Amino acid sequence: MADRTCLVVDDSAPIRRVVSGMFLDLGYAVAEAPTGKDALDYCRAGQPDIVMLDWNMPVMDGIGCLTALRSMPLPRQPVVVMCTTESQIARIQQALSAGADEYIIKPFGRDVLVDKLEQLGMA
Amino acid sequence: MDELLNEFLTETNESLATLDTELVRFERDSSDTRILGNIFRLMHTIKGTCGFLGLPRLESVAHAGENVLGKFRDGDLPVTPDAVTLILRCIDHIRLLLVELGAAGREPEGDDGPLIGELNAMASGEPVAVPPADAAAAHAIAAPIFEEDGFPVAAELLAEVAEALGPQVAAQPVSPQRSQPQPAAELPRQVAEAARDNNAKEPDQAASSIRVNVDVIENLMTLISEIVLTRNQLMQIQRNLKSDAFKVPLQRLSHITSELQDGVTRMRMQPIGNAWAKLPRIVRDLCVESGKKIDLVQRGADTELDRQVLEMIKDPLTHMVRNSADHGVEDPVTRRDAGKPETGTILLEACHEGGHIFIRIADDGRGLDADRIRQKALANGLATEAEIAAMSEKQVLQFIFQPGFSTAEKVTSVSGRGVGMDVVRTNIERIGGAIEMDSRPGEGTTFLIKIPLTLAIVSALILEAGGERFALPQINVVELVRAGSRSGARIETIRDAAVLRLRERLLPLVSLRTVLELGPDEVDRDRFVLVMEVGAFKFGIIVDRVFDAEEIVVKPVAPILRGNPFYAGNTILGDGSVIMILDPGGLSALAGQAHSNNDGLQVAGSVAGRDESEASLLLFRAGGPELKAVMLDAILRIEEIDAGAIEQVGGRHVVQYRQKLMPLMMVNGDQRLVETGRQPLLVFCDNGQPLGLVVDEVVDIVQNHISLELAPRQDGLLGSAIVAGKATDLVDIRHYIEYGRDNWIRDEERPRLAAGGRHG
Repeated sequence: MADRTCLVVDDSAPIRRVVSGMFLDLGYAVAEAPTGKDALDYCRAGQPDIVMLDWNMPVMDGIGCLTALRSMPLPRQPVVVMCTTESQIARIQQALSAGADEYIIKPFGRDVLVDKLEQLGMA
Repeated sequence: MDELLNEFLTETNESLATLDTELVRFERDSSDTRILGNIFRLMHTIKGTCGFLGLPRLESVAHAGENVLGKFRDGDLPVTPDAVTLILRCIDHIRLLLVELGAAGREPEGDDGPLIGELNAMASGEPVAVPPADAAAAHAIAAPIFEEDGFPVAAELLAEVAEALGPQVAAQPVSPQRSQPQPAAELPRQVAEAARDNNAKEPDQAASSIRVNVDVIENLMTLISEIVLTRNQLMQIQRNLKSDAFKVPLQRLSHITSELQDGVTRMRMQPIGNAWAKLPRIVRDLCVESGKKIDLVQRGADTELDRQVLEMIKDPLTHMVRNSADHGVEDPVTRRDAGKPETGTILLEACHEGGHIFIRIADDGRGLDADRIRQKALANGLATEAEIAAMSEKQVLQFIFQPGFSTAEKVTSVSGRGVGMDVVRTNIERIGGAIEMDSRPGEGTTFLIKIPLTLAIVSALILEAGGERFALPQINVVELVRAGSRSGARIETIRDAAVLRLRERLLPLVSLRTVLELGPDEVDRDRFVLVMEVGAFKFGIIVDRVFDAEEIVVKPVAPILRGNPFYAGNTILGDGSVIMILDPGGLSALAGQAHSNNDGLQVAGSVAGRDESEASLLLFRAGGPELKAVMLDAILRIEEIDAGAIEQVGGRHVVQYRQKLMPLMMVNGDQRLVETGRQPLLVFCDNGQPLGLVVDEVVDIVQNHISLELAPRQDGLLGSAIVAGKATDLVDIRHYIEYGRDNWIRDEERPRLAAGGRHG
């Protein structure tokens, strides 16, 4: 199986690095984007398999990015995992309605991530 | 992991700086949802990142802060100064933890309970503007999070989920149903949507910029410097070559090198706004503490300058704005009584002009109090009563630049942190800048700072003295004068002090040979004088030869020479030789009176320079054995004329001088003209009319504090003073000028003397 590609979208560089590290351990190729806008640019060209999408970001936030992504004419839509924090639980519904496949609560560890990926069939 | 931590520290510190500024803006306009959205997001990101990095203390503090901000956002909590102060304290606390984290590499031990308690109390406090029903709802939301024991911070959750409970549980507790529909939930969504809409309109900056480590750029700069040097070397070879084969590619190389240099220099540029980022917060805190109302207006914050320069002026600027807010702007009551708007204004303005940055800091406060400065200067022993009495208002104000001077009667917690305006001035002058001040009682004070754009590559003159080559930064060079037998300009040596007669002035000189002990001066050959301007002080440097202007790369001076004030660094020339860069500041100090005011700024200064506290004095003898002195400033030239050239007109002595008839005056009745040989004269000027004062002998030029010891015994004397250990009569040039005018010049329409002065 060819390496899967993961796009980690978060405005915090340390978070991107930690999450990227987890995906690299899992055998993924990893790309990073600091804003929703950059994420969209990447998706247009890069065809990621899974997008770990943060909610609170400058320039374009997670939900805006998700909505725009889902309306893009891509050959294959990536799986989107919305990363949220406990205080944003109310918005998970909003994310799911906007087309997110899964959500994960930050901060998360490798085990939780693997479980989520298993549920998505992408471990 | 260390690198990750560093990244976190850099990022979080930047976020905190933005938070400071944004909060102050938000406090002013608490209806701006976009600012609040941004504030909330920043705090949220900090919290989230701490969670990932396993920093529970930071996370819980940020979490508590975020919750208060959440209440702001949801409209559950009014935005009061107290609340904002608390959030700012929270930010400060996070900053403190970051410092310790940075130093130790891990979170320090400690208890954040009190602060978190206050934040939580604030968050759960009775909302003022919200109806009871909503208030209850707000409590319902707040209660499970805050009022239970401890904080269900994400790290703990993570630990639970990851270690104990397993996958299913991780998914279950956050099912959508648990986020019960709340009445308050509508509002945040609206706010969030509004914020998002605004966010979408923000200029897309993140995508077009990247973060680069400073070291990388510094290294690049060094390499570019090497290319510049190599190019210079190649150009030199080409010049000596008979063939033109390399000419075209060399020109191209030269062109590209210049562009590269420009590019990297620009890369090092940062907007001056970076140095201003903390100021709104400082002014805000001071306002809250003192009850003042101050608007900080920033203009030209995007003006860019070298980051090295930026670092150097950051503290001085902060200090000056703090001073303006603390000492300058009055409290609202005083301002209202004075007929001014209650809210004071501090203007910070920056602009580019001809390779320099100008920064203006202006307040509309009470202005400097000259009387208090006088008292203070006296009390601190900075000057004697007589000296102060002789000073103009403007000179009195200059005392604030003296070490250990502060007019604040009580030291508030905001100002009075040990640095004074003297440090400010030293810092600015160290980077080749200058500072000027203007203050009007009741109207405010303005500081104008002029600083160079960059320090790394400077344009310099290459010169030679005593067989050694040196570079001299061109920024300070005003003009180049060839001094010798074939040119008009001559170097006069009066005892050890050399002066240059240059047009209307006598310029103090230093000889590079003498200063650097490169051998005796070759008086009989042609030499060059570089006329320098350092701050407000003009002087000349005597050198043997001047070559070319070159762009040189400043390399720091070797440690062994660091104590030497005459060198600013070294550089490598095109031919590969290493030469020293001279420090105009150090040389100016040697030329004397580094900070005297012999420039044109002294509007009130009299012709005789009566109110100079320290000045260059010309000592001479005339009509008696005792020494007489006159301010060097007041003299146009020292002349020696042929005794035969002196004519008599109507019983008075005149001499033809520069196509004019110059009257000659005796200092007193005992004086006689020489009969043969040469007659020394001091030439003054009264509105273009030269006047000659006959002297017997010019003795010396000295640097002296003038303090008159005795009142004048006769007309034409200011009094007596101790100069160089000897009693000396201080000659009042004004007297002779007026005497000359009364006797020689009939033009009654001539403007008053005070306006005349040194113009010719």
